[in-house]
Amino acid sequence: MLNGLVTTVREGARYKGESNQWMWIAHRISGLGVLLFLVTHISGMSFSYFNPKVHEALIEIYKTPLFSVGELFLAACLVFHAINGTRIALLELKPEWWSEQHKATRASLLITFVLGAPTLVIMAWKSLSFYLATGR
Amino acid sequence: MKLHLKIKRFNPEIDKKPYWGEYDIEVDEMDRVLDALQEVKWTVDGTLALRRSCAHGICGSDAMRINGRNRLACKCLIKDEIKNGQITVEPILGLKVQKDMIVDMEPFFAHYRSVLPFLVNKDPLPENGRERLQTIADRERFDDTTKCILCACCTTSCPSFWARGEYVGPAAIVQAHRFIFDSRDQAAQERLEVLSEVDGVWRCRTVFNCTDACPRGIEVTKAIGEVKAALRTGIIA
Repeated sequence: MLNGLVTTVREGARYKGESNQWMWIAHRISGLGVLLFLVTHISGMSFSYFNPKVHEALIEIYKTPLFSVGELFLAACLVFHAINGTRIALLELKPEWWSEQHKATRASLLITFVLGAPTLVIMAWKSLSFYLATGR
Repeated sequence: MKLHLKIKRFNPEIDKKPYWGEYDIEVDEMDRVLDALQEVKWTVDGTLALRRSCAHGICGSDAMRINGRNRLACKCLIKDEIKNGQITVEPILGLKVQKDMIVDMEPFFAHYRSVLPFLVNKDPLPENGRERLQTIADRERFDDTTKCILCACCTTSCPSFWARGEYVGPAAIVQAHRFIFDSRDQAAQERLEVLSEVDGVWRCRTVFNCTDACPRGIEVTKAIGEVKAALRTGIIA
């Protein structure tokens, strides 16, 4: 099991697959990003019931530049993971579309950019405004 | 022309870890990578170990990673692979290296056997004792997957197989596809049961490395998708 994991991580980056190999790697990394958010979010929110003071302290930590950058990364992960996941699901539902795989890859990257770029700009602007206004 | 050949060498009886063997040889640009490897073995270093049999893309013995991608050494011309005067050759991934390019193929063939890769038909033979007939359209349905030569290029290019060797892998699914969609066969459900298990077809992540790696041009990911569709809908058509 461990050998398999080591081989996958080490050789996955070395194997010269086509664009979909990199999409797979990006899908895994973005999936881990989303998972990290879910774990942080659910455990953080659970403190509002079990220990409200800890919850309030966590909310203050979330209002720091490090977490703001993390939020941007999370938003990028979410958009990419959702659009790329849709591409994979469509190719699984319609195997005969396999020959269009490269077009589908380009389309999912384009849609990710179109949806993601404005979202990230708005989020970054809001965060920046907050830090400028509060002087943090 | 001159060729600098980098070969990943490993003899587990002597070496603690793999190392790069580097060889400068004279080749013709229309030679194949297999010719270059044989040149090294026959004239430079006889300890180099590799498998090859027919040397014409039929037996599937000489699958290896050439410049980072799974290929048959006998089907790659030097002129197509050479970059900056160099070609890199490594063993295929996910199977234990026995020596240099030779890997233990037994786990691969165990997966192959697990999908019952043979025609199952319990009906009596036709009265004339000859073949079980089928229409041209019925034969066409699985034509693509009859081309498989079991070289393991697809299975060992699959990240799911690198991560978990128990995954049956693309080659076994291609073989299952060849019989599942054969109108004369009667064991499709048994094969689908094997492929619906935890290490069956659902470990495919639609990466398409297998389709790119297949030296026979089989639409591997499409075949896997059709098996998934058969499992999802229960319809074999």
